[in-house]
Amino acid sequence: MIKFEHVGLRYGIGPEVLSDVSFTLEPGSFHFLSGPSGAGKSSLMSLLFIGRMPTRGIVSMFDQNIAQLGRKQLTAIRRRIGVVFQDFRLLNNLSAFDNVALPLRIQGKPEKEIRANVHELLEWVGLGDHMHSLPSTMSGGQQQRIAIARAVITRPRMLLADEPTGNLDDEIGFRLMNLFEQLNRMGTTIVIATHNESMIERFAHKRLILDSGRLSIVEPKSWVRRKIEEVTGK
Amino acid sequence: MRRLFREKMLGSARSRTYDIPLDRGAGSGFLILLVLLMTFLAMLALSSSFVLGAMTSRWSSGLENKVTIEIPATNSEGETRSLAEIQAVAGRMKSLLGNHPAIAQTEILKSEDVLALVAPWLGEDLSLAEIPVPGLISVELIDADAAVIKGLSERISAIDAASRLDAHEAWLGDLLRFTRSLHFAAFLLALIISITTVTAVAGAVRARMAMHKAEVELLHLMGASDEYITRQFQRHSLLLALKGGIAGTLAAFAGLMIVDWIGGEMDVVLLPDFRLHVLQIAALMAMPLAIALIATLTARFTVMRALVRMP
Repeated sequence: MIKFEHVGLRYGIGPEVLSDVSFTLEPGSFHFLSGPSGAGKSSLMSLLFIGRMPTRGIVSMFDQNIAQLGRKQLTAIRRRIGVVFQDFRLLNNLSAFDNVALPLRIQGKPEKEIRANVHELLEWVGLGDHMHSLPSTMSGGQQQRIAIARAVITRPRMLLADEPTGNLDDEIGFRLMNLFEQLNRMGTTIVIATHNESMIERFAHKRLILDSGRLSIVEPKSWVRRKIEEVTGK
Repeated sequence: MRRLFREKMLGSARSRTYDIPLDRGAGSGFLILLVLLMTFLAMLALSSSFVLGAMTSRWSSGLENKVTIEIPATNSEGETRSLAEIQAVAGRMKSLLGNHPAIAQTEILKSEDVLALVAPWLGEDLSLAEIPVPGLISVELIDADAAVIKGLSERISAIDAASRLDAHEAWLGDLLRFTRSLHFAAFLLALIISITTVTAVAGAVRARMAMHKAEVELLHLMGASDEYITRQFQRHSLLLALKGGIAGTLAAFAGLMIVDWIGGEMDVVLLPDFRLHVLQIAALMAMPLAIALIATLTARFTVMRALVRMP
């Protein structure tokens, strides 16, 4: 379980970019994170993937208060989190295969297992023929699929994705959302930061809305309720 | 077939050198050059130290228990003595000192030998009639004790007031002091080389870390341990230092061979033989490894320190 209790974050001596943020992510839950630009989405994501420590409040990851953990324990927690960055953050000196294999190599998995898993996943995201291509020679959409494959290759307990379908056409975007749903059904907690309202509408999940550093949680509208609204216009 | 081909290709994909592209971009050449120069200087300093050691031991060897009695060509009144007079004084001294319990052996140097000793300064074609030559008696002591030397000096003065005992202490002490200061200078140079190497490698590693901050952060966020990230920088620094070290070693050996050749051409008697023995060559060969080790440890320490600042 992921739990934020009265969490605040500020950069240096600047104002708080996140104020009094409290929420709980149950294991196997699926949340969208939305809000206007500058609302603090990236800051909240960085707290979720432990890229930063909160300036106040308590952040518990998998039932452990991260402020009380040592470096090795934090490393172990990070290995249970997969992240898809908005700017992909692929390593341009590595092939698509090596980029996706990286988290497994970091965890010291055997090369045979790495080959089998990476091969299968790249085939699945439709990049089986681009395994040895460098990211710089690939399109934005292809790079994004590598970034997603890299984030899910270790079957993380929690997956964080920042605008994961931003550069994809609708069909591939839909396929990837289905992959996220599939992972979610297998027990992975998912948080997707997105501006894509149609995506949020299409997949009925809880919504974390950030506005000026403050968080509110909105329950998903049921499919029937939405249909009624569409028909009656109310 | 297609799958087999892919598997083969995957094998080649694994042969990537680094996760972080440390082997790309400028700066590596500078570090290699710097390590080359440091290795070159270190090896010259070390071989100089070896040569100094050889020189000291050659000059001082056999002198520990030896003294020389000098019978000047002029007596205590300043009158020039004949060769026969000097030989008579030498004979008296030899017979008197022969029974001394602290003396193992005495030998009166022949006048021809004395002339041969001064020949490099005064020329080969000297005759005993042209120049007053002092008498010299080489004395080997059982133990060169200060009290023994003092007692001997007094007995020599009693026989001939102008004669004196040379225990070689003065010039040997000067020589040893001089070589000690040169050894200290070599040590200082080694220290400066180490500090320069550490500073340069630390600077280069910090620059690389700044250049690849995003990649380092990414690995860190993926759950890479500090050790995993550090190993990449360590390996990179080790390879650069080895390249520079090997080049520096080759340059230094070439330099030493040239110096040896020049020494051979000059045929200077006082300079020691420049040849190194196996252990000394092994010590010189270990120098680039030592510098590479310094570079590796510096890289490790620098990266570890920087990583600790990350949450």
